[in-house]
Amino acid sequence: MSSPNKSALPTHILDEIRELPARYPQPRSAVMPALDLAQEELGHLTPEAMSEVAEALSLDPGYVEGVATFYSLFHHQPIGKHRFYVCTNLSCMLRGANEVVDHLKQAIGVERSDQVSSDGLFSFEEVECLGACEYAPMMRLDHRYFYDLNDQKVDALVAERRGKPVVTAEKPKPKRVPRKKPGG
Amino acid sequence: MAELRGSHGDQAHHILTSLFGTPDLHTLSVYESKGGYTALRKALLDMAPADITNEVKTSGLRGRGGAGFATGTKWSFINRDAPGPKYVVVNADESEPGTAKDRYILENCPHMVVEGILIAAYAVGANQAWVYIRGEYDEPSRMLQAAIEEARAKGYVGPKPFGKDFPLDIRLYRGHGAYICGEETALLESLEGKRAQPRSRPPFPAVKGAWGRPTLLNNVETLATVPAIINRGGAEYAKLGTAKNPGTRLLTVSGNVRKPGVYEVEIGKTFRHVIMELAGGPPEGRVVKVFWPGGSSAPVLPGSMLDMTTDAEALAAAKSMGGSGGVIVMDDSHCIVKAAHRLLQFYAHESCGKCTPCRIGQDWAVRTYERILANEGSQVELDILQRVSDGLQNGRCLCGLGDSGGWVIDSTLRHFREEYEDHALRHECRVGTVAPPALRATSPQVGRT
Amino acid sequence: MADINLTIDGQKTTVPPGTLIVEAAKTIGIEIPVFCYHHKLDPVGACRLCLVDITPGPPRPQTACTTPVAEGMVVRTQSAMAVQGRADILEFELANHPLDCPVCDKGGECPLQDFTFRHGYPISRIDGPRLHFKKPIPLSDKIALDRERCVLCYRCTRYYDEVAWEQELTTDQRGVQSFITSQFDQPLKSIFSGNIIDLCPVGALTSRVWRFESRPWDMTHTASVCSKCSVGCSVTLWQRRGQLVRVTSHENDDIDEGWICDRGRFDYTDVNDPARLRTPSINGARAAWADAISAVAAGIRGRGARLGVSLPQDITNEEAFLFRRLLDGPLKGARVKMHGRTAIPAPAGDLMRIKEIDDARVIVVVASDLEDDVPIVDLRVKKAVTKRGAKLIVVHPEGVDLDRHPGTVHIRNAKGSAAAEVRKLASHEWLKSPGGPVAILFGDGRGSEDVDELASACGDLAGQVGGREMALYRATNERGALAAGVAGWDKLDGVEALLSWGPPPTAGIPTSAKFVAAWDHLPRVGHDRAVVLPATTFAERQGSYTNLEGTVQFLRPPIPVLPPLKEGWEVLCELGAALGVALDFDGVLAIQRAISLPSPDLEPSPTPVLVGPAHP
Ligand SMILES: Cc1cc2nc3c(=O)[nH]c(=O)nc-3n(C[C@H](O)[C@H](O)[C@H](O)COP(=O)(O)O)c2cc1C
Ligand code: SF4
Ligand code: SF4
Ligand code: SF4
Ligand code: FES
Ligand code: FES
Repeated sequence: MSSPNKSALPTHILDEIRELPARYPQPRSAVMPALDLAQEELGHLTPEAMSEVAEALSLDPGYVEGVATFYSLFHHQPIGKHRFYVCTNLSCMLRGANEVVDHLKQAIGVERSDQVSSDGLFSFEEVECLGACEYAPMMRLDHRYFYDLNDQKVDALVAERRGKPVVTAEKPKPKRVPRKKPGG
Repeated sequence: MAELRGSHGDQAHHILTSLFGTPDLHTLSVYESKGGYTALRKALLDMAPADITNEVKTSGLRGRGGAGFATGTKWSFINRDAPGPKYVVVNADESEPGTAKDRYILENCPHMVVEGILIAAYAVGANQAWVYIRGEYDEPSRMLQAAIEEARAKGYVGPKPFGKDFPLDIRLYRGHGAYICGEETALLESLEGKRAQPRSRPPFPAVKGAWGRPTLLNNVETLATVPAIINRGGAEYAKLGTAKNPGTRLLTVSGNVRKPGVYEVEIGKTFRHVIMELAGGPPEGRVVKVFWPGGSSAPVLPGSMLDMTTDAEALAAAKSMGGSGGVIVMDDSHCIVKAAHRLLQFYAHESCGKCTPCRIGQDWAVRTYERILANEGSQVELDILQRVSDGLQNGRCLCGLGDSGGWVIDSTLRHFREEYEDHALRHECRVGTVAPPALRATSPQVGRT
Repeated sequence: MADINLTIDGQKTTVPPGTLIVEAAKTIGIEIPVFCYHHKLDPVGACRLCLVDITPGPPRPQTACTTPVAEGMVVRTQSAMAVQGRADILEFELANHPLDCPVCDKGGECPLQDFTFRHGYPISRIDGPRLHFKKPIPLSDKIALDRERCVLCYRCTRYYDEVAWEQELTTDQRGVQSFITSQFDQPLKSIFSGNIIDLCPVGALTSRVWRFESRPWDMTHTASVCSKCSVGCSVTLWQRRGQLVRVTSHENDDIDEGWICDRGRFDYTDVNDPARLRTPSINGARAAWADAISAVAAGIRGRGARLGVSLPQDITNEEAFLFRRLLDGPLKGARVKMHGRTAIPAPAGDLMRIKEIDDARVIVVVASDLEDDVPIVDLRVKKAVTKRGAKLIVVHPEGVDLDRHPGTVHIRNAKGSAAAEVRKLASHEWLKSPGGPVAILFGDGRGSEDVDELASACGDLAGQVGGREMALYRATNERGALAAGVAGWDKLDGVEALLSWGPPPTAGIPTSAKFVAAWDHLPRVGHDRAVVLPATTFAERQGSYTNLEGTVQFLRPPIPVLPPLKEGWEVLCELGAALGVALDFDGVLAIQRAISLPSPDLEPSPTPVLVGPAHP
């Protein structure tokens, strides 16, 4: 899997992960905070990263894989530097969330949730209710909520982020171990 | 912070929200200057743990997370004298579509939640509380963490709160995007670092909960109500609301209303009051076609039932429930079949996959809706929907998520059969203004033919 | 506590408290269908197929696999609510199930087929697209996974986690998209992997060794005993047209509890090898039995210590007994070497039984990685620890499989010092007041320990802490061979003649041997310069083994020994005759009778597990 001399996660992250179990009544609870650290570092979780997390926590990689693929906030494919999590659940849908998504797709030039804009800046995902229905339609972006969305607001959010300098080195490697292919 | 949408300020029935809107209420100094933490002091110094639980019992408070279980009774299930650690786990996973009230509380007055947690912990003999907060709640969790740190600096969280020899601690655990983590046993699994699949009960969390220890699990709003009950006394609190369902609760009103928001409502008021008066009713020229009285999981009621009251008993009689208090309003410009489809997509996406009927049934329903909405429907599809709905309810599933999907199908079919028939049999939509919902991408691992 | 009385479908039954309804129903022959429930795994209530109607109780069906019985409970499996509940669940299971039955190895022994037949709707109401997965996926070179067939009962993953203490098999994703997978699609490595095939209630997990070989109704099977190590797990051997087509488990709670290891399950293809020897040969030329036997007799007679005898690990008690006669007589003085045996001496008294591990409060494992040495005992220890709360102390220089438990206390001794470490253990906190029986399991450290010293240290510890020891013999019939006095440990270098009974000596045929006789089932290098007698395998052989705890168990071969092949005991009798010893036995039963007379050591255990006639 990972080449012997180079690990997916830097040593300081692995050190941090090793300290997590002590914070919980049982060490296994550390698995999600640990995956958080890994994902923050890499943008998304690779099999190598999950295996390293497992090793740091004395768990089997398979266990970590099972947990990491259960939760929607863990990503297993590269995502944009800015990911738009747009709520399209009922309250937001009734107030135009689907139109917001359509506009967003155009604005960032991305069609599907598993794609990333060509500059690596943007990706999006339709998500379930984010618990801010009184501000529908709404979304989560860069760890913040944005409310009462419309086309102009979406354009402004996109433009603002385009203006910021992008550190391309942070872009996650697109290389991926081939996984299960769609069946036939 | 965004503009407040919902109840705030001093009004006769405002118990939770009367301080909301006060500048810097989220800080300990302002909260305390308004009488905050007096309930905790009283509970720790002047009351025996059993008295606290009794006071909560007297108040008639019922859980605000969805199931509506009597809170005081739940507290009394924990054997306070059992040796070894016990925990309070706070359900801040708020993910029920149409529900935003826990966020509203956490963003406005996190200390009220902290105070309620500490009282509950003392009452049931737990030295440690864990708040399981949904991962998307960045701001609320920052605010709650800050509040805990302030309380820690003051010693309210610490080895000797108010000088009382009873160590209290609160810790945060962040979710990672799974509605099922709101279900209490799935939440516990997640807290233990596992895939969040509900546990088969018994054992109940009060006996074997977090990390195998006795655990009290309550919703944010439930616990936020506790300081008020301790301050006023349970009997005083019970004067509000209905006899069987006392007090006030926060109703999140969303969807096609002019003033969506989180409103504190005395239980027993009508939905007409909530939707038409507080939330301003539907947009100009529209009428309420349907509303979900308690989150997407509560069976729908047609607009003709606006005079229904908000108490649990009345709702149960109408085959619905108060649930999470999320009142979703849909007006007559929207299609019930498309709305139901969107919710089934939600339940299919959030099914944990542990039990057969929910794992398969929710998805089967989505596919059936898709056929109907693609104008490929017939009586067969309507029959499948009914059958899947039956198979999801009636105790077939391991947890409530399964039933919820079934109720959406069942209640919308029951109240809007004609609209379903329009779609399935006549391939037409009587409103047709909403664009067909985007189909959710399936995982790359599976295909379908 | 008193037993519980309840009524199921009008029939009364009485069961111990804590019994689950699903088990109570079995006592009176009522079938409650199950997928996720398995009596050796913790109940999870996932598949919902076991829905029954319980009074008193809510007006909803409940799962019989998670509900314990209660006094006066009335259970109905045939009420409309229960019947419809189960039928609906089966219909859901089939909604995405592929129409694979005609090409599915599970067909004919598939609970999904059977339950649908008995509990499902009589007509199919399913139409529309089904979910598809890529299939089949190799989970290892032994096991294939077909995700479309999987009903997600989680038996396989729960077994891995609960019983084998591994998580290399896991569930990915959630909801309808969830699927079983090996970690990051890498091959399963566990030596216990094959049990998931037996556990899987559908054709999702199948053996690649056996895939598409035959349908269940084409095969006959016998309940036999595994020949691959000293544990002696019960196995079911399946044959079709004279070929061994699969090996599955056969539950024996005293020994294996229904689990077998992958050696026992998959290590059998040599039985069907087309190159199998069927006729004797002398220096590569086909020979008659009589000529070959005389040639062997002539080659080995009267050589004393210049003759070497190599014995297989799975020599039967009967063959061992015959060898004893030969070694006492014409082959006196020969050097004997048994494959795979440990240096552990013959037991002085009665040793602990495997099932006694269940009740131990503290388990001490010394000088053995149980997973390698005695695999299924490893699982028994794991069960005692995770399901019954036993504490575990390991004394071993290296990491072992049992370290997977966070509570394991592992004392890493310097090689050769295990006995010294054991002597210190009496003062260990856990052993000062163990609160119940202590089990002390010791191996031979694969040659690194002084076993006599270790055995006596373990014996002393057992005396001090109120424990029982179990010596971990490794070779299949090491105990039987020890009892017969043929479990030799001699060096074979320098012998002039060699009688190789079974596969050649592990160190190879000594170059000094001018004469070689081999009783073997496969051709080997050097057979063209030897007298070769064709041998039976465990799938044909009759006889018995004594397992590591001393239980005598009988092989029940599914494949008959057809001429020109002969039984091993028959060959030895003829060889005896050629050497001038009268070994007049007309069958294994006669030998068994003879064994039980003069040699009390070989007395069948008080609870023989597989008594009865061999294959007809
Ligand atoms: C599918 C499902 C989702 C739930 N989601 C939530 C939730 O997001 N927040 C919550 O407090 N309770 C939720 N509940 C209810 C909890 O299981 C539990 O009853 C509640 O947290 C107990 O607290 P309370 O007694 O204070 O209401 C959910 C229940 C189910 C079945
Ligand atoms: S009902 Fe759905 S969410 Fe609940 S346990 Fe079953 S599969 Fe999981
Ligand atoms: S592969 Fe078989 S045993 Fe494993 S979950 Fe699927 S059906 Fe159950
Ligand atoms: S443990 Fe030994 S006896 Fe049991 S199946 Fe494995 S090899 Fe055979
Ligand atoms: S439905 Fe969009 S935030 Fe609740
Ligand atoms: S057998 Fe009872 S739920 Fe699966």
